[in-house]
Amino acid sequence: MSANAASHSGHDDSHDDHGEHHHDPGWLRKYVFSTDHKTIGLQYGITAMLFLAFGFYLMMVMRWSIAYPHQPLPEWMSFLFTDTWKSRWLLDGKVTGDTYNMFGAMHGTIMVFLGIVPLGFGAFGNYVTPLQIGAVDMAFPKLNMVSYWVYLVGGVIMCASFFMESGAAKSGWTNYSPLAGFADGQIVNQWLAGQTQWLIGLVCLITSSLLGSVNFITTIINLRARGMTWMRLPFFVWAMLVTGFLLLLAFPPLEAAGIMQLMDRVGHSSFFMPSGLFTQSDGLADLSGGGSPLLFQHLFWFLGHPEVYVLLLPAIACVAEVIPVNTRKPLWGYKSMVYSVLILGFLSFIVWAHHMYMTGMGSAVSTFFQTTTVLISIPSVIIITAMLISLWGGSIRFTPPMLWACAFIPMFGIGGLTGLPLAFNLVGLHLHDTYYVIGHFHYVVAPGILFGLFAGVLHWYPKITGRYMSKTLNHFHFWPSLICMNIIFFPMLIQGMSGFHRRWYNGGDAYLSKAADSTNVFGNIVRESIDLNIVMSMGAWALAIAQIPFIINLILSWKIGKKVENDNPWGATTLEWSTPTPPGHGNFTYDVAVYRGPYEYSRPDCDKDHFPQWEAPKKKTEEQANKPAVTSTEEQH
Amino acid sequence: MEIPYIVTPRKDTGLINSKIAIWLFLASEVMLFGGFFSAYVYLRLGADYPWPERSLPVLPGLINTFVLIGSSVTVVFAWAALKMRKWRHFQIYMGITVACAALFMVLKGIEYSVKFKHQAVRLHDYSVVEGHLGYEMDENHEYIEDRKGHHIEENMIRVKADKLTFSVKRYHTAWVEEMIAEAEHAKSEISLTESVKAVTEEGGKSETIAKAGEKLSVDLLKKIFKVQQAALAHNAALRTDALRDAWVIAKKENPGKSDWEYSDTVNIDAEALAPKMLTEVSTAAFTVDPPVEFLFKPRDIKEGASSSRLRDDTVIAGELEASPMVFHNTDAIDFQWLVMKAEEKGIPAETAIENSWLMQNNAFVREAWAWHQTEIEALRKKLNDRHGFKKDSEGKLTDEPNRVPTEKELYRIGWKDFAKFGEETKGVELSGAAKFKEEFFGPNYKARGEKTFHQLSIPREEIRHAAKFTPAWNTYYAIYFTITGLHGLHVIGGALVLLYYLVFGRKMYLENPEWLANRVEVGGLFWHFVDLIWIFAFPILYLM
Repeated sequence: MSANAASHSGHDDSHDDHGEHHHDPGWLRKYVFSTDHKTIGLQYGITAMLFLAFGFYLMMVMRWSIAYPHQPLPEWMSFLFTDTWKSRWLLDGKVTGDTYNMFGAMHGTIMVFLGIVPLGFGAFGNYVTPLQIGAVDMAFPKLNMVSYWVYLVGGVIMCASFFMESGAAKSGWTNYSPLAGFADGQIVNQWLAGQTQWLIGLVCLITSSLLGSVNFITTIINLRARGMTWMRLPFFVWAMLVTGFLLLLAFPPLEAAGIMQLMDRVGHSSFFMPSGLFTQSDGLADLSGGGSPLLFQHLFWFLGHPEVYVLLLPAIACVAEVIPVNTRKPLWGYKSMVYSVLILGFLSFIVWAHHMYMTGMGSAVSTFFQTTTVLISIPSVIIITAMLISLWGGSIRFTPPMLWACAFIPMFGIGGLTGLPLAFNLVGLHLHDTYYVIGHFHYVVAPGILFGLFAGVLHWYPKITGRYMSKTLNHFHFWPSLICMNIIFFPMLIQGMSGFHRRWYNGGDAYLSKAADSTNVFGNIVRESIDLNIVMSMGAWALAIAQIPFIINLILSWKIGKKVENDNPWGATTLEWSTPTPPGHGNFTYDVAVYRGPYEYSRPDCDKDHFPQWEAPKKKTEEQANKPAVTSTEEQH
Repeated sequence: MEIPYIVTPRKDTGLINSKIAIWLFLASEVMLFGGFFSAYVYLRLGADYPWPERSLPVLPGLINTFVLIGSSVTVVFAWAALKMRKWRHFQIYMGITVACAALFMVLKGIEYSVKFKHQAVRLHDYSVVEGHLGYEMDENHEYIEDRKGHHIEENMIRVKADKLTFSVKRYHTAWVEEMIAEAEHAKSEISLTESVKAVTEEGGKSETIAKAGEKLSVDLLKKIFKVQQAALAHNAALRTDALRDAWVIAKKENPGKSDWEYSDTVNIDAEALAPKMLTEVSTAAFTVDPPVEFLFKPRDIKEGASSSRLRDDTVIAGELEASPMVFHNTDAIDFQWLVMKAEEKGIPAETAIENSWLMQNNAFVREAWAWHQTEIEALRKKLNDRHGFKKDSEGKLTDEPNRVPTEKELYRIGWKDFAKFGEETKGVELSGAAKFKEEFFGPNYKARGEKTFHQLSIPREEIRHAAKFTPAWNTYYAIYFTITGLHGLHVIGGALVLLYYLVFGRKMYLENPEWLANRVEVGGLFWHFVDLIWIFAFPILYLM
């Protein structure tokens, strides 16, 4: 910080010197290397959406391979590639197993690490959190900037490997050793192998989220405005706090695993390589052996499970903000939601081995993890139920964000409920690594988390740009998306239960029995469900078309959308709506103080239907004083 | 706009921002190193080989421990000096702290460099030899130099190449350049065996891209590569179009059917396409005349008697020359693993050792082993004298001793044993100072010489796994280097920050001493953490 911070002692706020900074920081500092949390939030948001689009595209190619394994990739899907690239990675225009694996691994990686986490935590967290707690910026603005740039560098490194000799990583997003330790082993300079680039990229991403989470937690602890006590924090901030802790504590073990796998690749060590490893191409591996593939799985899933909640909590947070505004009614069970999210955060650290039931861990250990896994559904269900009850008796405004929030609840509900059977190790015998698992977590992530984030985009768009997004275009986006999502993911549950493996690059074609009277029993089962592949793939491509209205809406509304009437267009109660539109550098133009809880809607003692956190209480008239006491659950100390 | 609570703590939390941040950061660091320490436990419990216990030099590690603890104290003094506004004291204490960090890294560097020079080999019968490889010598004990004037380590694989076939797509430029230079040095020529001909235009005639006899160069390979890439792209596009057309026709012929029901009937008409195809040149063969001896690192080559393959798919036709691994100074013979494997099969340890390749083929090993047996007898006697024998249920003494030698004592002749062997049986003398130096730099091969650390040549086909004492040797060294290396990076990082306060802190101090004190406190917290990691790492890696 600059030197005159020294003179800055004892102030509880810092807005008194707000007007003194009139100097123009220059275009580069303002929009590119900005330290303002709002600009960084937007940078995160735009980058993450581009990565999401790329990850979506990879999935479209994969869906072609699944639906039509014998047909060449159509031109409308492959026009992006050069002829040389196509000759290398496609066989007569068909997607090969290697290419499918590469796209699959990168689809997962991009969606999870480069798309949704940066969008939920990086973009929404950055933009909204300081505003909601009444802070001028994040506690460490420069660190915030570094965090974004390290993320971008990590993402670019990972994606650049598509154009290298080895191609990008192709051992699944979980990157299990020894498969991942061997992949691309033929490359002479291992630093230039896609599999190595994946690890380097991952270390960058972990560093980025580490810096981010330290910054978030510090900001939330120390930069809350006057009167913003813990139980007056909007639920969004609580969710961000827990997400921050998850990132802070769960990512380092994966970083350890990543470093060890990097050592295995470039230092020829055997952390994850067992003794006597033999491959068809290379024979007995020239390695010391003695390592443990299971060690990697443990370290990976120690991150992997909390990561699920890192994805989920920002989406829940957005929905929890959208619902009270649009029902004009307090968030039902605010306190129980807060405690639930804290317990959820804790429990998420002790469920990881439910991803590893099939590794022969023994019944004692798997019973422990079954128990914790079932336990963690309790706080999740409390949160989702609280949101559902929040709708009860409200005067619901079906604004664009509210549409998405309303769809979030049942869609996430399906995702969550289909997960319950998977908590049991016995069921794992049948469903492990099938499309059922894919269907389950995609229900959570795609129509669940992404819908929540869409709600967030539409909700805060007027604050960011001063304009609403188009309602009509939103309808063209929302309804097809809702339908397509179910067309894609529901059949996965059916296919999964009949035993379709998640990594079949040809959709099961190789296992098929082509004659009905075949003795190939499994082939006959595959036969029954294989045509669903085409339905799902059509759904996936239609979903791509359904996103076009959103992209148009996002861009055009910035310039020609309907202007907001005032700084608080939704009539919301949390602090971000008390700032100018859009908020300037330093955010607030007044001395921020908070007088009440975050969701004071429809208070009987108040003439408006919402009572914002920042409005100083009026002196009670005699008439009001005679009214019965307020019964709102949100009444604070 | 000014961020609050940079210097003055917030009243209700009682904390400044940076203090919260450093504690959070340290929490995540605990999780990071926790991951590595868990990995250590996991690997050690699951190790299927004799875990190398107490195999690192303790003395430098112990000194480093006290150096780091000392620096943790001085960094607190430095902070206290700032609080008391004594700039001079701050400078002294902070200077000591940074100097300690430097000393730590120097000792660490010595430890690492000794490892990097130390070779180990596991034979097919699981006996292990360790020592110093040295460089190749001629009959007159003069070092042989390679083209660049470097000595050649006794671990290279030699192939007398007369033909090289490069993969046009995968050749490794640096290796090709090396071969060209090597051939030039040997006054040999690498030239194209046959002309490379290819159809480069649709419907065109076969053209000569490179004439037979053209000299090998990276440019030539690049040229062929470009032709190949163009042909591949062209042919793939044609085949893709043909397959698309075939599917259009097939769909019309099979209305209402699913793709999979007739997919095997949809094929590209290869004959019809053939005239339009370009030639895909995938390899380029070169003749080496006269044949040149190339040297390769074992990891880069899969050797065969008459044909070897490099990792970039270059095939080398030519005679494989004897390329044994030669230890100029053997400093450890280890049968622990061999005994472990033998016992799994129910073979007595003595028999297994007697039948090992080393004992069968090397007189020196036999001599050392015989001497080692007398040492073990002496050790047994010493243990019995000191600890006595077990008593049975009636309180009578049995002949079962209370203490027996460990597996490591029984089956490993380490460098200190060899040193003793040399001193006792060959009369090698070493001064006390030289012995003290050995505690840091490892065995002194020069002073103790051939008599103590004997030469040992191991044919390539007996070797199962060979590596320097690096992460590649076994999982113990892998985790050792990872934990200490990462810890070392933390030491360097922390020391740089503290050095920054020392060198550039004056301005901050004059403006607001409290501000600098806060920063030193935060840096000091990190420094304590670095110390703490070492306190955990030292016992598990050096003592246990």
